[in-house]
Amino acid sequence: MSHVSYRQESHSGETDYVVVGSGAGGAVAAVELARGGAHVTLVEAGAWRDPEHYPYSVYGALHHLFDDWGSLVARGRAMWPIVQGRCVGGTTVINSAICVRTPEDIFAQWQREHGVSGLRDAVLGHQEELERELCATPVPPQSAGRANQLALVGANQLGYESHVITRYVKGCAGTGQCLQGCRGRKKQSLNITFVRELDERGGDILSCAPVDRILLEGRRAVGVSGRFRDPSSRRRGGKFLIRARRGVLVAASVTRSPLLLARSGVALPALGKFFRAHPGTGVFGVYDEVVDMNVGATQGWASTAFRSEPGLKLETLSLPPEMVASRLSGGGTELVSKLREYRHLAMWVAAVRAESVGEVRSGLLGQPVVRYALDRADMERLRHGLVLVARTHFAAGAKRILPGVYGLPYSLGPDEVKLLEQGPLDPRAYVAVISHLFGGCVMGSDPARSVVDDHGRVHGHTGLVVCDASVIPTNLGVNPQHTIMGLARTFARRLLGA
Amino acid sequence: MTAILKHALCALYPRTDFFPGLADMDLDRFLHRFRRDGSAMLLLGMYAGLVLFVLTPVLTVYVPLPSFLLPRSLLDRHASRAATFPLYPLRSLILVLKLVAGLCWGAHPRVREQLGLPPLPADPLEWRST
Repeated sequence: MSHVSYRQESHSGETDYVVVGSGAGGAVAAVELARGGAHVTLVEAGAWRDPEHYPYSVYGALHHLFDDWGSLVARGRAMWPIVQGRCVGGTTVINSAICVRTPEDIFAQWQREHGVSGLRDAVLGHQEELERELCATPVPPQSAGRANQLALVGANQLGYESHVITRYVKGCAGTGQCLQGCRGRKKQSLNITFVRELDERGGDILSCAPVDRILLEGRRAVGVSGRFRDPSSRRRGGKFLIRARRGVLVAASVTRSPLLLARSGVALPALGKFFRAHPGTGVFGVYDEVVDMNVGATQGWASTAFRSEPGLKLETLSLPPEMVASRLSGGGTELVSKLREYRHLAMWVAAVRAESVGEVRSGLLGQPVVRYALDRADMERLRHGLVLVARTHFAAGAKRILPGVYGLPYSLGPDEVKLLEQGPLDPRAYVAVISHLFGGCVMGSDPARSVVDDHGRVHGHTGLVVCDASVIPTNLGVNPQHTIMGLARTFARRLLGA
Repeated sequence: MTAILKHALCALYPRTDFFPGLADMDLDRFLHRFRRDGSAMLLLGMYAGLVLFVLTPVLTVYVPLPSFLLPRSLLDRHASRAATFPLYPLRSLILVLKLVAGLCWGAHPRVREQLGLPPLPADPLEWRST
């Protein structure tokens, strides 16, 4: 037995380690444990799709690859969607595979504010290995696409630091399909790399298998149980139970790991607390030339020049027509007429290194409920970010920008950026997306304010480790996949050495 | 219910000189799929948006009629104003309607052709079952 998918019959097994979740945290930890000689069973709630089975349409991607169609919304003043993957490989299948090492100041902050020490050398060392293993390379010029090239021009004109993004991509063909899964197998998402390696090393993989509970004997984690679920019809299948001789690693995502621990009987005051994120929104630039933002790397340019002050990341993001259609304001003939400009649009995004803190709870039906609202300071950062993006568009030659902010004109010219500077601070005026999630099972030395220690071990429990973004106690200000993978490998190595 | 839903979606994406409208597409097939596949939250949002779309012409074009009784020019104005209405719940639920309708409209071969994009092949339905 190597891979077990949806079935009506029940299934049981025994292994050294069970890993729940196959995204950036789970897949890295699982393969590391397997490389260390352990038998590992990887359990994933979503289906296992190979690149040839990825959908072509946005409809198909939302249905088959995203968690609940990306329809989980943060409840605050505004309702902004939270975007995550739900398939073997997790969010690495649907993200842009952006590779950024954990900034030095983050380790110092973790030590200062959370008593977490001894991670820096291990994480950075593992990140160097991961960059080699997953072919981290800057976007090649032939795959950059015009939208990314224009952003570089604009930033250079304004004189701030920006760069071509480094991604885990091998020979990018510039198909602009990163967010729908790379059918060309260029993106090194973890379903085609580490999950496949785990399979080759004799590990077991359960897909379509959402875990209901972690089995605890006293304070010791001894396995997991759940029930298969058909990924298309959502019909429930047989039960599964996997017993773990040495431990259970949880990497089910920021919104689901805290709930799984709570359902299983873990009672810590910080569970579900300290949710953080990088909320972001974009501004379209309208150019005279044909940009065709859907051609080239989906995200090929970024600037971290504003990461520390005021706390922003700028990047490109190409959107398919289906998404642009709903992103432009208005409806009816007015909306459809605006869409004629699609080929001349470039979308660049400002993501806020937000200080606001929220929480993850269980809803009445056991679903994740995220309470999260940006405070005024974060909204000022977001607005400032949009102004920077707008200025960059104009520096790159845009004739107009489409800010997409309620209360502002649909389109602004170069002399009207001041309107954006004075734009509303009410989050309801913005159509934003919450990505890059952190917290819920945060690391720390104090069990009153954290859930896991600096080995990822859940306080007061044995054989129970969390190794996904939920352990990250602060906002990073950079794309988190590399940090999640570095931490997961660190925790797995420490587990093997324990 | 389907006829009213189609009315609202088609009002948001009408035919223009350049693009086909949702009315020119196989909306029945799309809605059948979406009702089967869509998440509970999205379906809830879509129907809530539909109710608001139908009932709010009195707020947007100041006519106390349901949207499906509006003449074409007023319906178009209602679609535009409902999507940019000052009340956040109305505006955001119309956004859900726009999102759902956009998934059908933006993927249509004739729309993609007009945007210089190749048609999308049918989505594979397979996954690893063993």
